[in-house]
This record gives sequence, structure tokens and C-alpha cells, in this order.
Amino acid sequence: MAANAPVAEAGAAKPASAAHKPAGRTPAPQSNFAPWKDPAKQPIVRFENVTKRFGDFIAIKNCSLDIYEREFFALLGPSGCGKSTLLRMLAGFEKPTEGRIIVGGKDITDLAPYERTDVNMMFQSYALFPHMSVEKNIGFGLRQDGMAKADIDVRVAEAMALLELEKFAARKPHQLSGGQQQRVALARAIAKKPRIMLLDEPLGALDKRLRQQAQFELMRIQETTGTTFIIVTHDQEEAMTVASRIAVMNHGELVHIATPGDIYEFPQSRYVAQFIGDVNVFEGKVTSIADGSVEIDWPAGGSSFTAAAVGGLSTGQQVWLAMRPEKVRISLSKPTAPCNTIPGKVIDVGYLGSISHYHVRVASGQTVTALRANSAQTVEQNIKWDDDVWLEWPYDAGMVLDK
Amino acid sequence: MRRWYVIGAPYLWLLLFFLVPFFIVFKISLSEIATAIPPYTPTVDLAEGWAGFKSFFSQLDFENYAFIFSDPLYVGAYWSSVKIAAVATFFTLLVAYPVAYGMARAPKDWQATLMMLVILPFWTSFLIRVYAWMGILKKEGLLNMFLMNMGVISEPLTILNTTTAVYIGIVYSYLPFMILPLYSSLEKIKPSLLEAAEDLGSPPWKAFWQVTFPLSLPGVFAGCLLVFIPAVGEFVIPDLLGGSDTLMIGKTLWSEFFNNRDWPVSSAVAVVLLLVLVIPIVLFQRMQQRQQEAAS
Repeated sequence: MAANAPVAEAGAAKPASAAHKPAGRTPAPQSNFAPWKDPAKQPIVRFENVTKRFGDFIAIKNCSLDIYEREFFALLGPSGCGKSTLLRMLAGFEKPTEGRIIVGGKDITDLAPYERTDVNMMFQSYALFPHMSVEKNIGFGLRQDGMAKADIDVRVAEAMALLELEKFAARKPHQLSGGQQQRVALARAIAKKPRIMLLDEPLGALDKRLRQQAQFELMRIQETTGTTFIIVTHDQEEAMTVASRIAVMNHGELVHIATPGDIYEFPQSRYVAQFIGDVNVFEGKVTSIADGSVEIDWPAGGSSFTAAAVGGLSTGQQVWLAMRPEKVRISLSKPTAPCNTIPGKVIDVGYLGSISHYHVRVASGQTVTALRANSAQTVEQNIKWDDDVWLEWPYDAGMVLDK
Repeated sequence: MRRWYVIGAPYLWLLLFFLVPFFIVFKISLSEIATAIPPYTPTVDLAEGWAGFKSFFSQLDFENYAFIFSDPLYVGAYWSSVKIAAVATFFTLLVAYPVAYGMARAPKDWQATLMMLVILPFWTSFLIRVYAWMGILKKEGLLNMFLMNMGVISEPLTILNTTTAVYIGIVYSYLPFMILPLYSSLEKIKPSLLEAAEDLGSPPWKAFWQVTFPLSLPGVFAGCLLVFIPAVGEFVIPDLLGGSDTLMIGKTLWSEFFNNRDWPVSSAVAVVLLLVLVIPIVLFQRMQQRQQEAAS
């Protein structure tokens, strides 16, 4: 099942069908898999008002979260935001100071890690046992359960086949490359067939190429085993690629929980908008709201914008209009179509091959980034440094944020 | 050329301070006791030239070795030394392991202080510390007084001048040599390994035997050898704390040398002791080599 539609492209060009009239904005469904929208569904993991303090430091602030079966759930945030603490509480290595953790309808708050049979974790540093061969490492968890040797051998062989590790069965961890070690760590946890797999920065130690491969590998394994995966990462691209839903965390709080597409296109705050991808932000005031669209005065630039209205806005309120760079068009002449336009001067051009970045200084003095796909095969850039240009974007391409 | 100086220096050192003395001792062990200065024969008479050397070598034999192995006193002393050293090493391991484990798990900023405390006894002379144990263990000593005052015992225990006192002395004296290698191997074990073991369903006590202990084995081996090797030849502890029934080769060697003034036999005893100890030393080196291969 398509639990993880390839949402990495969500950040690419807006589909042409997106109309210019700024009305009726509803998030487009990424896939049919959305158990969080079904009120009858019971979550497999539930954090209930969980708070965790280390001395005076509050690592997790009154956190409530439901995760559903077969989800690939990502906890995303900068280092120190508490995402690892949340995961470690689920594994049992940390006890919540307040609140409860419920797995499959059972309160597991007070269970020790080895009693939590539904949950297994893949560690950031892999934590492979250096004195055991790959085979013994993978079989370790099964031996703890007192399983018969023949059954252990079958399960270990299964796990090794799933991760293409058969060739390395007799090797010790130090004889493996980083990518192979990562797969052994995954196989060791998967061999226990947990209902919930926890992955703590599982790909952090791999180089970029290998990481991208491993992301798709993780998705493949999650789909074939049907296990619920919860991944902790600080890499927003990784979260976007693999996850069915993402929880963005900051200072021990869950600031936004949604699908990758919704988080990217409809962030609820400037923090989330800036954390996920690049964004241009204009600060302004609401001057009028009508017909599902809102007028925003932008005093710093001496101009005003039109955008799609969101709930809870009132006239005179301070808001921020956030714009993804790929939605900003750049041209040498003033556009005639009805859309938001501002003039500016190119101060920097970054040519990346597939796309080019344009940094444009506008009237307010701030720099606005516009992206353009280099669809024509030419090394000639028709927009150069110090060119006077026009930036434009459709009325419904901006996100109005009130915090 | 300069490389040879660097490599040559330790070899020259070994040659001068180990091999040359060893061959002198070995030569004496092949000689015979004599009432002379030095108290053995033959000696080389350089004035006689080549003939002198020939008659010198013709008089050397292995009679002392034959004597040592035919006399149950010496064989018994070797055997009981190895036994006492082995038992004492085991008890040292039992005491040292929890201490080393505690040190390795202590907060990082305490570890240097704890290490200092372990090494601290070396600041006092070894001899004085062993004498202090005589004061503690004797009939009217601190331990007996304490136990009697507490009402644990009514009659003082005889500990001093028994093999038990020797065990206590060895365990106490060699404890740091066991703790330090244990600590260094325990400290290297990543806490995440134990978390992984627990996560995979292993309760903490089981995780200890499955993960911590096997990974500390290099430290266990190193510590055991560092205690066992010197303990076999130990003289001071059995002499001061042990009784007449505590038979150890160090004591035998001493009485052979100073009481009987039999240099050739005591030299032979020393050479055999060296051979007995070479076996564990070779084992130790093999072990270290394997470890280095595993690390690289």
C-alpha cells in the first residue's frame, strides 16, 4: 500500500491546475492512507500529556500525540528540541516526569525497556555488539525470548535476506562499511518483528548518496513488513521523503503535525515555514478581508499584497506573508497578469545546473529568493547581476501566517 | 641509519639489563657449590687461554636441575606458588571488578579522582603496607579486637601466619594492577550497547553477562596476568604474613640463597621460575596482538 507517496516532489512546481482565484484552499490528499482522519481508528501509540524534566530543564512540554498503525512517522526538529527524548521515552530509556504512554491500548509508562516487546529501536550509532558476528547480532533479540534455535535461524535468515546481508553473516561489525553496519542494525531490530520500530537518526552517519538510497530502503522495508515506523531526524528532506506524517518540534513542544505536503504548503507558523525548506517572509498588516481573500499592507516595501484568507484573521492584525522561492517568478518586464508584483535588483545569481537561484533586493531592503528551473538548454543566463527585475506570484501562492 | 638507533636502544637495554644478567644466573645454575668467593665452581681462568675455557665448559652440567626436580620440596613449592597465586588472582578479580565497574560508570569528572585514589597506596612503601597488615591480622590486632567488640566472635581468629593472610596480602597489594586494566576496558564500552541489549529483551543482569563481561575480557586477562606473574614469585608477603606451612618458591629461593649460601641451586630455581612464568607472558602477548588486530 502507498503509505508513503513520494512527496519529495511536493516542493516542486505547483500543478498548473492550481487556479488563480484565491478561494477554497483545501490541502490536496497525498495518498489514500490517512488513518489520523478516521475518528473510529485507535492509535497504536499515544502520548498523553507527557512532560519530561531533567532537573530544571524541561525537555518535553506537555506533549500529546497519536500515531497510527502502519504509519511512517517522523519527529523533526533541530538538535536539542526533545525529539530523541520523546523516542527514548517510548523505548523505555527515559521515564516521563508526568503523563502516560500507551501502546496498543496498554499503558507502558512504567515498563522497563526489555519488557516492551512491541517496540524495538535502531540506534543512532547502530550499537552493534562488537564481539558478535553479524548473524549473532541479528539473532540476539530472538535468543532473549528463548526461541528454539531452528526458529531463530529461520528468522535471522529472513532478516538477512530482507537487507541483503547474507554475504556478511560471519563478519564482525568492525569488518563492515558504515552502510552495511546500518543495515545490520536495522535487521537486528526488524528480526524481532516489533509492532513499532523506532529509528534514532538512522542515516545520520551515512554520506549523502548512500543516505538517499537508504531512505528508499527504509520505505521498502516499512511497506513489506507493515510495521509502524517512528523516525527521529534533523534532516527535513529525509523526513519529507520517508514520512506519512511529520511532527515538527521546537524547544520540547510539538509545533505542527501534518503530512509532508501540508507542512510544506500550509505551515502554521513562521518557525515551521522556515524550518521546512526556504521561504521569503514579508511582515504586514491585514487591511481587508473579503471573498476568501485578504489584503495585506506591506509598509516596509510601500506596497500591498493579495493572498488567500485563512481562518481567524481580523482587520488590522499583524501577519506574515510567506512565499516559497519556487513560486516566485522573475522577469525583466512588468507582468500584466493579475498577481502580486514587486520590483527589485538582482544581487546574486546561483547557478545549480538544474535550477538557478536569484537573490533580489527589493524596496524594503530585504533579499527575496526566486527559483527558476533551467528548462532550456543554454548556458546563457538572460537575467544577470544588477538587472532590474520584477518578481511576481499568484494570489494564492503565499501563506498568511499569524505567528 | 637513525631508525636503527631508535630500534636499537630498547634492544641494547634488554641485552645489558636482562639477557647478560640472565646468562650469568644461568651459568651459575650450571655450576657446583664451593667454599670459596664466589661460592661456586668452576670460574674461568683467563690466564690459561683457550684451555681454560675448555676446562670451564667441561665442568658445567645440569645436575642442579636434576636435583630440583627429584626433590619434592622444590616441585611442591612451585606447585603451591602457582596455586596460591592463581587463587589470589581470582579473589583480586572478584574484588577489583565491581570497583572498576563503579569507576567506569561514575560521572566523568569523578573518574580522575577515583583513579588517583586507586593509585594512592603506591605513595607508601610496599614493605610498610605489608607490615601494617601484620598489625591488623595478628591475634590481638585491629581486626580481632573489632570483631570481638562487636560480639561476632568470642575467641580471636588466627589469621596471621596462615595462607589466608597471604591471600589477603596479595589481594590487597596487587588490587590496583587488576583495577586499572579492567577500568580501561570497561570504560570503552558504549552505554548504547547495553541499551540495545535491553531494548532487544535482555534484562540488565543478563545484558551484563552477554555484553559487558565479554567485552571486558581483554582487561580481565591483562589484570590477571599482571597479578598472577609477580604473585607466583612473591617473597615479601608470604615471608611476613604466611606461616611456616605456606610454601612459596620465592621463600625457597631466598633461604637457598641466604641461609644455605647455595648459589647454583638457587640460580637453577630462579631459571625454572622464569620458564614457568614465560608461558603466561607469551599468552598475554598473543592476546594483546589479537586485540590490536581486532582494533585495526
